[in-house]
Amino acid sequence: MEPVTIFLNGREVNGRPGMTILELAQQEGVYIPTLCHEPQLVSPGAACPSIGACRICIVEEERTGALLTACTVFITPGMEISTDSPRVLERRRSIIELMLASHPDSCLVCDKGNRCQLRRIAAELGVGRLGFQKVPQTATIKENNPFIKRDLSKCILCAKCIRVCQDLVVEGAVDYFRRGFATRPATFGDGPLEESECTFCGTCVALCPTGALMEAEPAYRGTTANVIRTTCPFCGCGCGLYVEVKDGRVVRTIPDKEDPVTRGTLCVKGSYGYDFIYSPDRLTAPLVKVDGEFREVSWDEALSLIAGEFNRIKAEHGGESLAVFGSSKCTNEENYLLQQFARCVLGTNNIDNGSRLYGAAGLHGSPETGGFFSTNSPLTALEEAEVILVIGADPTASAPLVGYAIKRTARCREAKLILVDPRETRLSLFAELQLRPRVGTDLALLNGLCKVVLDEDLADESVDREAADFAAFAESLAPYTPSHIEEVTGVSHQELRHAARLFAGAKRAAIVYGNGITQQVNGTGALKALSNLVLLTGNRAAVYALQKESNSQGACDMGALPDFLPGYYPVTDREARRRFRDYWGSLPGTPGLTFPETLREAKAGRIKGLYIVGEDPVSSFPDAGYVREALSAVGFLVVQDLFLTETAKLASVVLPAAGFAEKDGTFTNFEGRVNRLRKAVEPPGQSLPDWQILLHLAASMGHPLPYTSPREVREEIEKLVPLYAGIGYGTLEEPAPESGAPERGAGEAAVYRKHPGGTPRLAPVLNGAGPPKPHEAYPFVLLTGSNLYHFGGGTRTSRAPRLRKFSAAAYVSISEADARRLAVSEGDRVRIVSPAGEAAAVVKTTDTLPEGLVFMPFAIAVNPVSQLFSIVLDPERKSLLNKAVNVRIERIGSDG
Amino acid sequence: MYEELRAEVARLGLTDVEVDFTGCHGFCEQGGLVVVEPEGIFYTHVGVADAREIVDAHLRQGKPVERLFYRDPVSRQAVPRYHEINFYKKQQRIILRNCGRINPEKIDHYIANGGYQALRKVLLEMTPEQVIEEVKKSGLRGRGGAGFPTGRKWEFGRNVCADKKYVICNADEGDPGAFMDRSVLEADPHAVIEGLIIAGYAIGADEGFVYVRAEYPLAVKRIRVALEQARARGFLGKDILGSGFNFEVQMKEGAGAFVCGEETALIASIESRRGMPRPRPPYPVQSGLEGRPTTINNVKTLASVPVIIERGADWFASIGSEKSKGTTVLALSGNIANSGLVEVPMGTSLSTIIFDIGGGILNRKRLKAVQTGGPSGGCIPARIPHTPVDYETLTMVGSIMGSGGMVVMDEDTCMVEVARYFLSFTQAESCGKCAPCRLGTKQMLEILTRITQGKGREGDIDTLFTLARTVKETSLCGLGQTCPNPVLSTLHYFRDEYEVHIKEKKCPASKWQRLPRRPLRK
Repeated sequence: MEPVTIFLNGREVNGRPGMTILELAQQEGVYIPTLCHEPQLVSPGAACPSIGACRICIVEEERTGALLTACTVFITPGMEISTDSPRVLERRRSIIELMLASHPDSCLVCDKGNRCQLRRIAAELGVGRLGFQKVPQTATIKENNPFIKRDLSKCILCAKCIRVCQDLVVEGAVDYFRRGFATRPATFGDGPLEESECTFCGTCVALCPTGALMEAEPAYRGTTANVIRTTCPFCGCGCGLYVEVKDGRVVRTIPDKEDPVTRGTLCVKGSYGYDFIYSPDRLTAPLVKVDGEFREVSWDEALSLIAGEFNRIKAEHGGESLAVFGSSKCTNEENYLLQQFARCVLGTNNIDNGSRLYGAAGLHGSPETGGFFSTNSPLTALEEAEVILVIGADPTASAPLVGYAIKRTARCREAKLILVDPRETRLSLFAELQLRPRVGTDLALLNGLCKVVLDEDLADESVDREAADFAAFAESLAPYTPSHIEEVTGVSHQELRHAARLFAGAKRAAIVYGNGITQQVNGTGALKALSNLVLLTGNRAAVYALQKESNSQGACDMGALPDFLPGYYPVTDREARRRFRDYWGSLPGTPGLTFPETLREAKAGRIKGLYIVGEDPVSSFPDAGYVREALSAVGFLVVQDLFLTETAKLASVVLPAAGFAEKDGTFTNFEGRVNRLRKAVEPPGQSLPDWQILLHLAASMGHPLPYTSPREVREEIEKLVPLYAGIGYGTLEEPAPESGAPERGAGEAAVYRKHPGGTPRLAPVLNGAGPPKPHEAYPFVLLTGSNLYHFGGGTRTSRAPRLRKFSAAAYVSISEADARRLAVSEGDRVRIVSPAGEAAAVVKTTDTLPEGLVFMPFAIAVNPVSQLFSIVLDPERKSLLNKAVNVRIERIGSDG
Repeated sequence: MYEELRAEVARLGLTDVEVDFTGCHGFCEQGGLVVVEPEGIFYTHVGVADAREIVDAHLRQGKPVERLFYRDPVSRQAVPRYHEINFYKKQQRIILRNCGRINPEKIDHYIANGGYQALRKVLLEMTPEQVIEEVKKSGLRGRGGAGFPTGRKWEFGRNVCADKKYVICNADEGDPGAFMDRSVLEADPHAVIEGLIIAGYAIGADEGFVYVRAEYPLAVKRIRVALEQARARGFLGKDILGSGFNFEVQMKEGAGAFVCGEETALIASIESRRGMPRPRPPYPVQSGLEGRPTTINNVKTLASVPVIIERGADWFASIGSEKSKGTTVLALSGNIANSGLVEVPMGTSLSTIIFDIGGGILNRKRLKAVQTGGPSGGCIPARIPHTPVDYETLTMVGSIMGSGGMVVMDEDTCMVEVARYFLSFTQAESCGKCAPCRLGTKQMLEILTRITQGKGREGDIDTLFTLARTVKETSLCGLGQTCPNPVLSTLHYFRDEYEVHIKEKKCPASKWQRLPRRPLRK
């Protein structure tokens, strides 16, 4: 393309066709102030490159004397643009003065302080005394949430909040309201945020150029000097964020606008959930249990005690009597060190990680062995899909970033969303078609979809119909006729056909699945059936397996698994073991125990020593009583965590670990993107990053590991794990200098680890054990799922004051018809009884559930729902099956 | 009255008489009106009670009812015939050609008056390029106010490549005191629809919209009826008149926002979004409704098209001034004898309109100023009475053609109050999107209000100038870019009045009273 030549302040410069004046000026280092311009808020293909609302970026076209907004006008050959003519400056000053004339004089106490863009531009333009009279705007809105406070007297109506809410996170909680001078962003009905669609993702607060949108608690945080780019520690999305530090404390997190994947969005946990790092419950020194009481000890004392015990157990009972449980919240480097510690120092393959609970740990291995797809595309590909199939997942709660992407694609790009969920979720509104199968019938439904694809000749032409396995496969689908599916799943044959045609007809399709499949009885079968559907339709679909935790993917990649070395080399593979042995020394060759198996063996007295890093299975696993009993039976339990968790209370030694903002490393998110974690503040007291503790411990045991920093670990990973080779992983840049304003940041390049190769083959999948059969004593099916405001076992979120304050007590959603039948109403307390246990909760009535189905989310501060499940493993993947259970509901009356 | 006339005719058993209703005749001052054709006897101020007398005396006995004749406001002479009345005699009605002459709910009336002949000619004898060429040659310019050459707009629309294009009739007449679009829609809806179909053919669109204010229920009804009739007669739908051209029209009702008359806001409103303008370019003709090329024309522009096709571009171009061709419809109001709708050739002087057609100023007062173009127009002082009314001249004297509003103000009018009044409207109707318009209009309004209350300060005039220029030069859309006109033009022509307000705390327009003079008469 021919460059476009224009004159910028008298200088001849070249730009690309389609560039705005602003973009060209930025390229040339010519400063033009802006207030409403925000590149990531422009949806691709939009008519205008910007909103052009604040008019601060006006420049003068010297040939015509016209004033143009630099953010909206494209360059054309021969333009003569002046960015700072006297007229331009005078008009800019007038506009700023107009804004200040209706802005309160509260700059001295405003928490926006030096971050205020209005103030900065006013200063740049030398606007001092106002020539205009003060015309105040409406004042503060009464809100009752701990996250966001709105003071619209400071609003300049740049509409960033409106645009981000509608176009990027697609909640639509705020929009323009009223006309003329009274115009402002408001919720529907102009009520408080907590009564609106707002999910408190905080994205608008981060974008607000003035103090109109601010953190609510505490009201004053002050201006920060240091800003560090790091990664959100919660779910598997791995959002890029900046941590703002003042006086050595984290005072704020803000999303990274330049991040190509997150595009400046976060969720409520990313924005307001970091508070846990300053919880008074943080451990600050190693603890040793003496006579049932914990006593603070020095690191030397704690480490030599552990080293002595582990060495003794290993000598007396062998490595197989030791076990390690790693964390899907710890970094890649830490998990790599941990599995190396287990295998080479302790001499056991009994290592697993926290993602076992959510089914992720069982998903791995090559597709040929597993027979199903996991994530195969970056999230950006989802937004190019024409049809999106979401099954067994409510990403709006469990993986908000993915939820945003799906909603954007459905709303702005008119992609068709096929939602498979028995419940109505926030995605239902965006769905072209929602199939609501009975709980546990996903496999039948997916087989039914495959059957329609075959019968209506919708299969892709690349499918080899002559192949032997094709005939067997087609044969196996014979019973799954639409009428049979209707009977089994409750999904009408019309809807089934419609869904199959939509999906098969798409040139670009995407599939998003989550725990609703992996934790479900028959989940393995459903995953294989899903693979069949992908293959039948030409193997083009982008597949996304959602991950619950920040490093579920990475912990598995790093070999914190009993059957795989880093990079999914089976431990039984002699060749692979040899490769690692050259670096590490000898390795055990028999697969170890998964964590649930470890618990079983512990209960039987066969596990003598257990090392748990960053997990709290007593709180997060089903059947806390059983877990407690099993862990108590372990002779020597070491727990390493931020807090004295329920699990840690059972330990002999507790080691204080550093939180996400206190250490360096990398996380690998659900799509395989490798994100940097950077140290922003010092860990409290004597606590140390997990990787340092591991190195100390290995040294204490007489088997020092040859690393001194996470970077050295990365360099080795790059050498030994092909998934991480050649992506620049080992040399990912060191922590950014601790200064600079994030809004001018260059952003972080997205680095993806490679996808494990191999393609599954079409294979028959037959119904295994059916869904939970209704039982007279337990007439309801209870489904669990995520809660946007809480996370995992609640170890961290229950210690984040704002999240804790906002979340309700344990509740159970019941359909209105069922509530009537049970004679319970909103707010009543009920007892929920399953064959495994019981839990108490408050009733919420809803019209989003079919009769007979109740919903109780995981992860309230105290997590009663896990009491209802017992530990049941999927035989093939050895994942926990704790998605649905039969229950009965009893009212807790005033008489007890 | 219509019912009463019919009942009376039926009671007397008159068989050679047909009673029918029409749209507005445009002579507001004189309603209700009854015209007896073919003589063209024109009865004014007719009440229900007069119906019997008209039927009995005039229709049965052939004796016109003299007491209901129109009386010239100046000479007080009775003028019995329509065509002899100054108000009508000096007009040239092209856009309003059928207004008051046909029943707007009967397509046959329209067809009998030559309707849909132009469409037939266009579809069967002309290529789209020829249509555009004809419109270009006629010199027709957008009657919405900005005066962009219609033929060129259509040419842009034609030349944009797209799988789908739209044409829209902008019938969101929002200016207070402007009712010409309404009159055309209510009195001659088919003319607009015919123009819209021709526009669709010319640019290559197969779908059109009429975006009309919901506050015009009668217009809404008449458009709906007209669309149904046109569809039934095959002027809309598939393969129109056997030409192979397909075209459908939908009507969309606005929700009351003034700014929705702005093209991009109008498009947003049709797309069910809040009606707010966006920056241009890209112009709607490049990327409009649903991102498709969209050509938007005003009601009067479209109503002019069939006549141009029928009578030829040369005929049309022979009317009007050098750069402004054809006629313009003005809504004459204020302190004037004959208020109403007036259609005159472009370039007609203000004095002709005010004194000859309008019958002069009421109560023998002197003319002080004329405000043209709706709330965003400027005030033209009485000392330049021969100003021709066309796009260029009005812009030159600090006003605009705009919607065609024309408010005549006598010597008692306070010009600061005039500016304040018009600004209070545009301030309230600002969509709030861009800062200068939202904040600047409010700031100006505060200052003007203070001045009219005798609380003006030294420096207010300079501040007003700064604000008005900022709003005019930096606002996002036409609303903001034109709304300071009443302030700027009164500051320019009547600065001394402002100064008296500020320095002496009194209004010179009212010699016996401190402040303020009576509010502007509407």
